[in-house]
Amino acid sequence: MTFLLHWSHQAQFAGYYVAKEKGFYKKRGRDVLIRRGGYDVDMRACLAESKPVFCTTMLFTALEKRNEGVPLVHLAQVVNRANFTLVAWKKDGIFKPEDLQGRRVSLWLKEYEAPYGGFFKRYNLQLVKEPQFFTVNLFLRRGMDMRHGVDACSAMYYNEYHKILQCGIDPEELTVFEMWKYGSDFPEDGIYCLAETTAAKPDLCRDIAEASLEGWIYAREHQEETLDIVMDYVRRGHVPTNRAHMRWMLEKILVSIFPGPGAGWQFGVLSRKSYDNSVRLLLEQKLIGSAPSFEEFHPSAFACGEKSKIQNRKSEIENGVRVKTALMPGGYE
Amino acid sequence: MLINRSIAVRMAVFVLVGAGCILGAIIGYSYFAVRSMLMAEMRSEAEYMAKYVVNRIETVGRSVEKIVQGMAIDLEMNSLSTNDMYHLLNHTVSNNCQIICGAAIAMEPTRIGVTNNYCAPYVYLNNGKLAAKDLGGGNYHYDVWDWFNLPQKLRKPLWCEPYFDEGGGNILMVTYCYPVFKNDEFYAVVTSDVSLEWLAGDMKKISRDIGGYAWLISANGTFITHPFPDLIMNETLFSTAETNSVPAVREAGRKVGQRMIRGETDFVPFTSVVTGQKGWLFFAPVPSTDWSLGVFFSQDHLMEYIFDLNRVNMILAGLGFALLLLVALGIARSITWPLRQLAGATRMLAQGDLNGALPKVRGEDEVAQLAFAFEHMRGDLKKYITELQAATAARERIESEMRIARGIQMDLVPKTFPERKEFEMAGILEPAREIGGDFYDYFMPDDRHIFLFIGDVSGKGMPAALFMAVTRTFLKAICRVESNPAVILRRLNNGLVESNESNMFVTLFCVLIDLRSGECKYSNGGHNPPFVVRAGGNVTSLPLTGGSPVGIMTQMDFGEGSFLLKPGDTLFLYTDGVTEAMNRDGDLFGENRAIEELRREQGAGCAQLVKSVREKMRDYAAGAEQSDDITMLAFRFFGKS
Repeated sequence: MTFLLHWSHQAQFAGYYVAKEKGFYKKRGRDVLIRRGGYDVDMRACLAESKPVFCTTMLFTALEKRNEGVPLVHLAQVVNRANFTLVAWKKDGIFKPEDLQGRRVSLWLKEYEAPYGGFFKRYNLQLVKEPQFFTVNLFLRRGMDMRHGVDACSAMYYNEYHKILQCGIDPEELTVFEMWKYGSDFPEDGIYCLAETTAAKPDLCRDIAEASLEGWIYAREHQEETLDIVMDYVRRGHVPTNRAHMRWMLEKILVSIFPGPGAGWQFGVLSRKSYDNSVRLLLEQKLIGSAPSFEEFHPSAFACGEKSKIQNRKSEIENGVRVKTALMPGGYE
Repeated sequence: MLINRSIAVRMAVFVLVGAGCILGAIIGYSYFAVRSMLMAEMRSEAEYMAKYVVNRIETVGRSVEKIVQGMAIDLEMNSLSTNDMYHLLNHTVSNNCQIICGAAIAMEPTRIGVTNNYCAPYVYLNNGKLAAKDLGGGNYHYDVWDWFNLPQKLRKPLWCEPYFDEGGGNILMVTYCYPVFKNDEFYAVVTSDVSLEWLAGDMKKISRDIGGYAWLISANGTFITHPFPDLIMNETLFSTAETNSVPAVREAGRKVGQRMIRGETDFVPFTSVVTGQKGWLFFAPVPSTDWSLGVFFSQDHLMEYIFDLNRVNMILAGLGFALLLLVALGIARSITWPLRQLAGATRMLAQGDLNGALPKVRGEDEVAQLAFAFEHMRGDLKKYITELQAATAARERIESEMRIARGIQMDLVPKTFPERKEFEMAGILEPAREIGGDFYDYFMPDDRHIFLFIGDVSGKGMPAALFMAVTRTFLKAICRVESNPAVILRRLNNGLVESNESNMFVTLFCVLIDLRSGECKYSNGGHNPPFVVRAGGNVTSLPLTGGSPVGIMTQMDFGEGSFLLKPGDTLFLYTDGVTEAMNRDGDLFGENRAIEELRREQGAGCAQLVKSVREKMRDYAAGAEQSDDITMLAFRFFGKS
């Protein structure tokens, strides 16, 4: 079956590459083909044309797709802590949120703008917004007036922020507003499939989710090996990037996947509270009109994120015991 | 230790060390001079090559800018239909196909009054032929890309980040984008694609010419060209610096990168963040595109070059060194050869061979002078030895004669004495040299009387001995006819003065003893008064009678004294060699010690008495050399019974 990523190959998807390359899908009897996503890949079309299809996407995107009528079902929540940041030039006098008032800011569009909306609202910021696409060059380049194209731009902490540093900008030159520190902390990447797949092949769905999470656990424990695998995907996919950037990305995304001490989330698990917060934000910003219930969006049969359980399952699978019961108490086959 | 080595070795070592220091200084100076010269040359070459490449890019860049600007003006001034646009693009690309490989006019999609919002006529070269398509076809939203977005938002023409055209043979491409505004409203973006394939050739040429390598980075620091193809478009100068494990190199690499993207020009020492090679970096901006060119050449290459340049010098230096060694050894040997010969000759000389061959040294240098002095010395030595041999032979002859004379002299003094019941006698004479001037004697004119004499001639040696013999002869002759001691001395004096050309004299004591009565008559010619040792142990010295030493002047009168010897009394005659014998400190033996010994030994026989006094003197002298003749004569009187 196809496993569709929501962007081009990079360390953001390291766990899935590892699951594939280390045989975590295979040992569950699942043959998975990982496909890159990107601006030129229509997830909706891909879901329709080849079945079964599993995919990764942002929670916001999944809710938007549900709103558009694509019956996506949530299998596992990989990235639980947000990585959205707003990066601004210190030399333009931006040190605190209030300094952004009236500034030119480039932002990703639609659901990717959602986390910033809450932040702007909290500080009552009126901004000149520019759409931001694939690069932060508008933030880096200067116009005729020798001012930068925008004073601030949206940036994933694990990606664009580090790309800016790799363009020779020193961290001291930048003010970074990490959204999760300003109350805009929402779950990001999760594993999804169509509702019909969960209905027809629940075992398959569970295997894919579990193997993927096992891949992430392995990735955390074997980061250099994981980087080798990532670089292999990157080179084969002709993605212009480098190992240093992939290392940064892996390190930062792992922090947002595995909870540290005092974190309010569990590895691999989408909490009802986070789901409700996300739905509320999108509804507020009128990015969606309605949303499914948590149970409908995330059947409890697939609540398989706890590491101990994955490892138990892993050993059961390795011992050839095929357990066909639900993982969670009260779950169903 | 060097000091133990031969002069030749030391000289060779000193010369070579000295020459080595000088040579080292010259080579060191030459190294630094060549190094700085090469540095300057490399810098200027790097600068030249960099300028060449920059100019090439600038030439192409400016041309492309003009071409695009021309189209933009056309678009701005005229109201062009889509067909017009294709026509313009066709015309432009076909006329400039040496420089550009495609051009597009992308219309603002949100403009009002158009049916196809996403309209972007694009004409490009496909396998050398012109092809055309609409980039907006298929609802392709080109406004999300930098080439459209950046010029629109920045409101200025610009060069986008280069990219690999994967569809067109993976060629490195770069796009120049020019925003068109109508009535200050954004209208479209005119672009032109330029292949950068030729750049790789230029960069390789730099690498070949300067023995280093060169790279181009974009405004974002991304490698546009680099000898390592994996870095191109994947890495930035900063990402490679980030990966370097050495913090200082990482930091320096980042700082240089920042200066490069700021458009600075400089020549700096640099450690490659990619290879870790040390060297120098020249960097200069490409103004039109905001790129920067870095030309790196490694220290290793420079050193290799310097070594190549210095190789001949090194070889010559090595040969010179070897030659110098030979010359130094040659000179040293030319000096030390005669010295060694002289040393050999000296050894032979020391062994007594005065006729061995001496080295022939030519010239007048120090060694020649030494050899001459040596020869001269040998001649002197020969002469001296000959003379010494003669002198030694003469001395040996004299010594032999002296030994014979001593024998004769010793024969002159009596060694045996008459054996009579009235008296006993004993005497010794020990000259200070082989022969001396002391003597003693006795003479019996008749059976009842006996003369005893003891004398000391002035001076020592042969003259004293001869004078003594003369004196003794006179004495013997006079005693036969005369019995008065004072007269005897007077006659002796007159006899000696008569033929005393050498002004010698003799102190003389003469006593005539009546062997029946023990009466003694004596006269003293300046001699030490003898001791009388009485049988009871009392020792007295005979009173002086007045009289000077004998032989000084004629008609001298000598006084006469008398005393009586009782049986058991002993008369002890001696010369000043006894009382003036000295120990090592120069203290005299003195009369008191002699008297004490006489007193202690008064009961012993005369021979024993004389022997005891001599032993006592020997003990006192404790090895000190004998300075004067020692003569003693003891006479013990027993009386007629």
